[in-house]
Amino acid sequence: MSMARKFRPYFIEGRDRSRFKRSFHQFVPLLTSLSLAFCGARALADPNVADVPSTGDLKQLSLEDLMNVKVTSVSKQPQKLLQAPSAIQVITSDDIRRSGATTLPEALRLADNLEVAQINAHDWAISARGFDANLANKLLVLIDGRAVYTPLYGGVLWNVQDYLLEDIDRIEVISGPGGTLWGANAVNGVINIITKSAQQTQGLYATAAAGNQLQDFGGVRYGAQVAPDVYLRFYGKYFDEGDVITSAGANAADSWHMARGGFRMDAHQFGDNWLTLQGDVYDGGENYGVAGDSDLSGSNVLGRWTRTLSADSGFTLQAYYDHTYLAQPFAASPPAQFFRGFPAASLMDTLDTFDLDFQYHLGWGERQKIVWGFGYRETHEADEDLSVVRFAPPVLNQNLYSGFLQDEIAVASNVQFTIGSKLEHNDYTGFEVEPSARVQWNFDPKELLWAAVSRAVRTPSRYDHDLEVPSGLVDAPPPFQFPEDYLKGNSNFLSETLIAYEVGYRATLASRLSGSISAFYNAYDDLRSTTSTPTTATYVFPFPVFFQNNLEGDTYGIELSTSYQVLDWWRLHAGYDLLEEHIHVKPGEVDATGATNETADPQQQFALRSVMDLPRNVQFNAALRWVDELHINNGPTGGPAIGIVPSYFELDTRLAWHVTRQLELSLVGQNLLHEYHTEYGFPSPTREEIARSVFGRITWGY
Amino acid sequence: MAAAAPVSEYQLKAVFLFNFAQFVEWPASAFPQTSAPFVIGVLGKDPFGADLDDVVRGEAVNGHPLAVQRYQNVGEVRDCQILFIPAAEFGHVGELLARLKGRSVLTVTDADEGPQRGVMIGLITQDRQIRLRIDVEAAKVASLTISSKLLRPAEIVGTARS
Repeated sequence: MSMARKFRPYFIEGRDRSRFKRSFHQFVPLLTSLSLAFCGARALADPNVADVPSTGDLKQLSLEDLMNVKVTSVSKQPQKLLQAPSAIQVITSDDIRRSGATTLPEALRLADNLEVAQINAHDWAISARGFDANLANKLLVLIDGRAVYTPLYGGVLWNVQDYLLEDIDRIEVISGPGGTLWGANAVNGVINIITKSAQQTQGLYATAAAGNQLQDFGGVRYGAQVAPDVYLRFYGKYFDEGDVITSAGANAADSWHMARGGFRMDAHQFGDNWLTLQGDVYDGGENYGVAGDSDLSGSNVLGRWTRTLSADSGFTLQAYYDHTYLAQPFAASPPAQFFRGFPAASLMDTLDTFDLDFQYHLGWGERQKIVWGFGYRETHEADEDLSVVRFAPPVLNQNLYSGFLQDEIAVASNVQFTIGSKLEHNDYTGFEVEPSARVQWNFDPKELLWAAVSRAVRTPSRYDHDLEVPSGLVDAPPPFQFPEDYLKGNSNFLSETLIAYEVGYRATLASRLSGSISAFYNAYDDLRSTTSTPTTATYVFPFPVFFQNNLEGDTYGIELSTSYQVLDWWRLHAGYDLLEEHIHVKPGEVDATGATNETADPQQQFALRSVMDLPRNVQFNAALRWVDELHINNGPTGGPAIGIVPSYFELDTRLAWHVTRQLELSLVGQNLLHEYHTEYGFPSPTREEIARSVFGRITWGY
Repeated sequence: MAAAAPVSEYQLKAVFLFNFAQFVEWPASAFPQTSAPFVIGVLGKDPFGADLDDVVRGEAVNGHPLAVQRYQNVGEVRDCQILFIPAAEFGHVGELLARLKGRSVLTVTDADEGPQRGVMIGLITQDRQIRLRIDVEAAKVASLTISSKLLRPAEIVGTARS
């Protein structure tokens, strides 16, 4: 079940949720004295009025009144989670709104099974189950089915991934491999960001905020019905974030701004057909101090056709085109003895992606559900040839072909077995296979046990394969030879592989308590290493260092997440992760970083969140997190030295008041416990520290 | 303190099912005899506990005494007027609806997907309240007439809309 739908990955989106918002507004709360008594806020104000209503009392209520009764719902998580045989967590739109997050990486802090470390004002390292480097490359991220990882280094440029957060329906975060459905790079986890349908986002919504770090922030959306059963929305968003500081106390000069906008149209007038057309554009820039400013821009358009053929069969056809451009400045390096120097330059990367996917699902007899599909992706990437860094060849076209087949077999009424595999072909390594097998046992309607074995791969990126970083060394005094490059990719670079073993348990333990626990053992092979070139009497530098696949090892850990509805108006949430990593150099091989380059991960982290509905339409949210210290390496050419990022506690809060149904005022504090704290980076005077942020926000509409 | 007045989710949902019996009109052919009980069926593992039995105890609709029947699996489903499909059982809905074809059974689910594939009413929990979604067309196909009193507070979904 869990992995059955790639494009509407877990919970059916769209059609049925869509009309909700409007009808919700049609309710004028008919607060009879009885339903008032059930209402949490009222109960808080006057604890004595609340009586447990009897079934007889409830039967006397009108339908409208019944719909105003609050239930002691355990969690906001869709119940379908109880059928999900994977370590999935869902961030709902309500969670995002209450958190005060204004960007996607901030919202991802709500997933207990992710590591989120802010590097500077505009960069984040985000991963699951370890390997959270600044170029983290083992997580696949999709926004409405569009893969947003960059083939430049196989990771996600979080500074350009964003949306008007109010229009996000949910974020599904799966820790653990998802290669069988999603293909290469879904190694340690998959994040599916799913926006609301146009029908769910009708009318005008506008928001603005200002504070010490978030200096300007504004967003607007307008949605309208353009024809019977055809809905459209447009949105725009802009923000401007201030500088942070370096550990030496200097201004880090890394302020940035980003403007974006887009549309989504949903149509379902042709019976069982559902058509979506959507697109986004963005443009922004970041300050890089003396080097100048970066330039970031992009655009994409996506079309999707979903057709239901019968009660248990249907297909989805999706195509998208995505264009991204980034220009990252490098400051000039002045010439010196034996060093020719580098002029100021800007690495320009232009990436065009065309992607086509088809997926078909059908029931097979009484007990089986089959999903199959195929995909094609073409990328065209051009990187400016610079003296300071280059990719060879500078222009590269690549083709990716894939197909998958998965079968869900109900071996008993409450036991399901799912087996499947992806087969794909890429230009670097040829064929890759990513099979998995899962079993789920709903031994009680409120409890689920699951287990899985999966194989996943990370295929080479241009960084692994094509990178050339010139040394700039010249005029060698005889008889010495100087190296042309000091860091190089490797045209024989292999795919990194993972075999993952997972078990999990998810339950609604009592009417107010729910939780999940998962444990994993990951066995990795052919992880990226850096090897130095042997020196000789005339060749005295160990350069170039180049990438190989000389690391292997295993990681294991547990992920715990639990929600407790303390009172009707107060929910507590706690999450905890434990991670052990044992990555080592293969016998007889070497690695310049001593196998430490990608594993700057906290051994433990925990989060505690409190969600409150207070009287007089006031909400209060508080999120405390603790992240263990990181043991961080200084990059592939920095040697095996290990630095420490200290463990830290931080606290985010949000106080919001719904003045009227349309108007909301809120005050948000992020990282309140310290004026500055470090989340990532090798210790140095230029390591950046993240600032306390406080902002006020006004929101109209909804 | 007595602050929280815990209306359990399924206690409330049971009352909704009871209301549906009042606000939907079944054709006479839906009952084997005029004195036959009005049966609310529950598919699979019953999430109501005793709540649904409490709600229907001593009640009747148009002379049909209300009764609850539980069906372990789709194969066991017999004559009933309302059939509740718990979210955990929604996976069997295709098979179930094929079996119910041509019969006047009001199908209700609390799965997040809500009414689709021919299920008529969704009881959806949102913001700790129950919302109604109704597929009028699917009900019509089964010769059921849903009162405007029930439609008014509901969200109407499906291919046809009033």
